[in-house]
Amino acid sequence: MAMKAGNLQKGMFILFKNEPFEVTKAEFYAPGKGSAICRAKLKSLKTGNTQEFTYKSNDPVEELDVMAREMQYLYTDGPSIIFMDPRTYDQVSVPVKLLEDKMGYLIPELTMYVVFLDDKAIGVRFPQKVKLKVANAEDSVAGNTVSAAKKPVTLETGVEVYVPLFVKKGDTLIIDTTTGEYVSRG
Amino acid sequence: MKIWQRLQQHPERFHPFFIREQVISAIRAHFTSQGFHEVETPKLLPQPSTEPFLEVFETQLKFADGSSSRAFLPTSPEFALKKLLAAGLGSCFEICKSFRNGEGRSSKHNPEFTILEWYHTPGDYLTVMDDTKKLFQAIHHAVFPQSKDLTLKYQGKIYDLSSPWERISVAEAFQTYAGIDTDTLLSKTRLVSALTKKGYHTNKKTTWEEAFNQIMFNEVEPHLGQKKPTFLYDYPTSQAALAQKKKSDPRFAERFEFFLAGFELGNAFSELADAKEQRERCEHDLEERRTLGKTTYGLDEDFLTALKSGFPPTGGSAMGVDRIAALFADVPNIQDVLFFPIDDLFPPKTA
Repeated sequence: MAMKAGNLQKGMFILFKNEPFEVTKAEFYAPGKGSAICRAKLKSLKTGNTQEFTYKSNDPVEELDVMAREMQYLYTDGPSIIFMDPRTYDQVSVPVKLLEDKMGYLIPELTMYVVFLDDKAIGVRFPQKVKLKVANAEDSVAGNTVSAAKKPVTLETGVEVYVPLFVKKGDTLIIDTTTGEYVSRG
Repeated sequence: MKIWQRLQQHPERFHPFFIREQVISAIRAHFTSQGFHEVETPKLLPQPSTEPFLEVFETQLKFADGSSSRAFLPTSPEFALKKLLAAGLGSCFEICKSFRNGEGRSSKHNPEFTILEWYHTPGDYLTVMDDTKKLFQAIHHAVFPQSKDLTLKYQGKIYDLSSPWERISVAEAFQTYAGIDTDTLLSKTRLVSALTKKGYHTNKKTTWEEAFNQIMFNEVEPHLGQKKPTFLYDYPTSQAALAQKKKSDPRFAERFEFFLAGFELGNAFSELADAKEQRERCEHDLEERRTLGKTTYGLDEDFLTALKSGFPPTGGSAMGVDRIAALFADVPNIQDVLFFPIDDLFPPKTA
């Protein structure tokens, strides 16, 4: 589907120099010194590498005709992440390199959209928020609440996150997967 | 959640705002110590300046007798400050709000933003390069008084603010980073065909300005300000409406921008003092505004009268203060150093 670069949005899948890319950031603006542009961050679906490109807002861009299916995370096997369709039990594998920055939020049975192009899984739309259990937390020191309103804890996947002092081992937390920050207790 | 609510929950997030405070005091202290006058100029004007690509905010000024007048918020304080220079004030600066409409939402723009403009007289763009360096070093001393060197950590990378800074001319940069020689750079046909050869999208309507900026944004800017601040200087004259042409090569004008850590931080000129040439360039800009479908208005004749009355040799610069604050506070977006960014006041409409 042909579109204008001015309509690019985060999460779209497009062709760039004849290769498939995911748009991870798109900022459309008119700089003071020239005509309107779109600054995009593009992630290659082949290599997982990210690059930046500035389009003129009226440049044509080819959007890929993708289909998204809701699937569950099963397990990671070396360079591949295995997902399953809970209705048909179909399994697909997605390269780890496409989800490298999100691996710490991946827990079994987590549901997300796997994106297909011509029956091949090319990417994943990760949920904005996930629930994770606290695997390890030190008790906060009483009386020190003013200078240190936060403490680090380790989650079940090994990721470290800063949380309020009341959080204890075994608590379930809601984590924002974009910023990696604590949102609330789940 | 609004920023003030987040701050209520996470008082440690006040930190970038406190850095912003220190940056602004340091700017003020630096220029005052150098003998610059700090001035205030109007934020409600009968005619804003003439830059073709900047859209303005327009309102109506109403009088008690029922009459009214078109009124505009300034895109920068430039024309007003230049009138004061013509009046004989001497070197001066202003830190104020400026307004640019229709820019879109971006991590480096806010429609209402804080600008620093200073004018150094007698001086030119080289004087202002020196001012820029000293200003940044002074801000560094103020924000990191314990620091033994002039390194700045930003988003995981280390930058060095010590002298000398990198300098490259626009012509050298196009040659080095994009393989484009000066004759190609300055010719519309040749530049557009170079763009096509490089695989960019072009068509019959592609302008020289679009081709210039495509190469600038994609091939030149990513190399600038990666370790030290970089001055990119001597722009093609069409890209410098308020700057003096170079005496040695009038195809280029005495303008520089400077870059650090992915930010374009400042834009400076040897200020054009010739009233006749300034009128021609302003009228050309206003004509281009009409072509581009931007709000149109008359020329600020008072500004040209001021230039005609005698304008001292001056170097001037404009800088985005929000960007400088974001840089020293080590936050990725200028919205992180604004208590009330535009997205909080006017949230995006969700589809």
